[in-house]
Amino acid sequence: MRLEVEIAGKRFENAAGERHDVIAGIAFALDAGEVGVFVGPSGCGKSTMLRILAGLDHDFQGRVSRPVDARIGFVFQEPRLLPWRSVEENVRLVAPLADDAKLSALFEILELKAHRNHFPGELSLGLARRVALARAFAVEPDFLILDEPLASLDAALAARLRDEIAMLVDGRSVTTLLVTHDVDDAVRLGDRLFLLSPRPARIVAELPIRVPRGERRDAEIAAIKLDIMRRINGDSVKPDAR
Amino acid sequence: MPRLLSFAAFLATWWIASLLAGDAKLPPPPAVLAAMIAEARSGALFFNLGVTLVRVALAFTLAMSLGAAIGYLMGRVRLADRLGDPWLILLLNLPALVVIVLAYIWAGLTEAAAIAAIAINKLPTAVVTLREGARALDASLDEMATVFALAPWKKFRHVILPQLAPYIAAAARSGLSLVWKIVLVAELLGRPNGVGFEIGVAFQLFDVPLLLAYSLSFAAVVLVIETVLVQPFEARASRWRPRAA
Repeated sequence: MRLEVEIAGKRFENAAGERHDVIAGIAFALDAGEVGVFVGPSGCGKSTMLRILAGLDHDFQGRVSRPVDARIGFVFQEPRLLPWRSVEENVRLVAPLADDAKLSALFEILELKAHRNHFPGELSLGLARRVALARAFAVEPDFLILDEPLASLDAALAARLRDEIAMLVDGRSVTTLLVTHDVDDAVRLGDRLFLLSPRPARIVAELPIRVPRGERRDAEIAAIKLDIMRRINGDSVKPDAR
Repeated sequence: MPRLLSFAAFLATWWIASLLAGDAKLPPPPAVLAAMIAEARSGALFFNLGVTLVRVALAFTLAMSLGAAIGYLMGRVRLADRLGDPWLILLLNLPALVVIVLAYIWAGLTEAAAIAAIAINKLPTAVVTLREGARALDASLDEMATVFALAPWKKFRHVILPQLAPYIAAAARSGLSLVWKIVLVAELLGRPNGVGFEIGVAFQLFDVPLLLAYSLSFAAVVLVIETVLVQPFEARASRWRPRAA
């Protein structure tokens, strides 16, 4: 699936009737199999952009072109599971065509096998996030959207989940969009990085990473991170520390 | 066990009160039980209970399904809410007696008039409760269902209905008690049978044991419905809540 985006502007009106520009100008294209990563400060309009791309918000200037029948897998910032359905039911509900073998493999990778029959209320946040990931992958998406899937997890768990995401993304040809404010995640997962300005968001830089995900060594990663930090700080924006 | 104790306390209070007030005003439990058995032997008790129960069931189903649909619409669509709100306030504040008398005048002393009148009395409270439920629906789960392209009936069944279940249970519980109070008035005023009619007869004859026999039998039936239907439904609908009280 090829995704072409040209958002010229997006405004919100708050309860007091004041207008706020949230997005000032975002234009990019992603091909099938590519992982695009958006890095930007908190509250810069990233989630708003994702809602527009997923077709949840039609009130904006510009256009988004993607196949109408593209299957979307969305990992929201909060897990957004149905609390009254078990882990397995949550996944099966959105992916009725997924066969048992595939689901078992997915639960195995994400280490959810023991929790199939638990309700989301019985899970820790880390587990709930993994269920949300399993749900998004179970639909075999053409377009995968990850909205800060690793936020507020401890470093070790976040690193493991990041590797699992990389493994799942490499396993199939899916156009992936990841939003994060963690530069490390961005460099380890992305094929192309987009740096966003503070609100109203616009793309300030686009950085392709040519080395395949699996072959990036620590030195290269550190160099790219340094480059990003320099660009961000050059724009007098402080990166959010996690 | 606590339920049995509380029932025993009720019987004891009744008995003591009947000793103080005298048999004519408040007969003791055995006298009421005797009246109950006599009515049961003749078959009148079961016939009248059955007739009233059918009226309750029809009016309740009608009011709940219509009320739930209207309430859901009003909770979701702002225009429907603004259009329906004045009607709702009117209906909520219309005395049951007025609705019943008007229904009998306009539609005659018929079964349909009685059931419609009872349903109209219950309708607005079901609308109000379900409207509150529809307003409280979680928008983030709605978005999730949209993004993952859930089919409409699936979304309704797995995303919306479980969120409305507590409101449906609340409306059912308050509705059942309301309907069964109003059905007696409707029967008293314009039906030739049913618990309400029998209570009217007992009132004219000052037959207090008969009056109590019918009202307590019906209260027992309602208690059974609550225990066998409403409570298990609630328990099932909320089994996902961690340690629900």
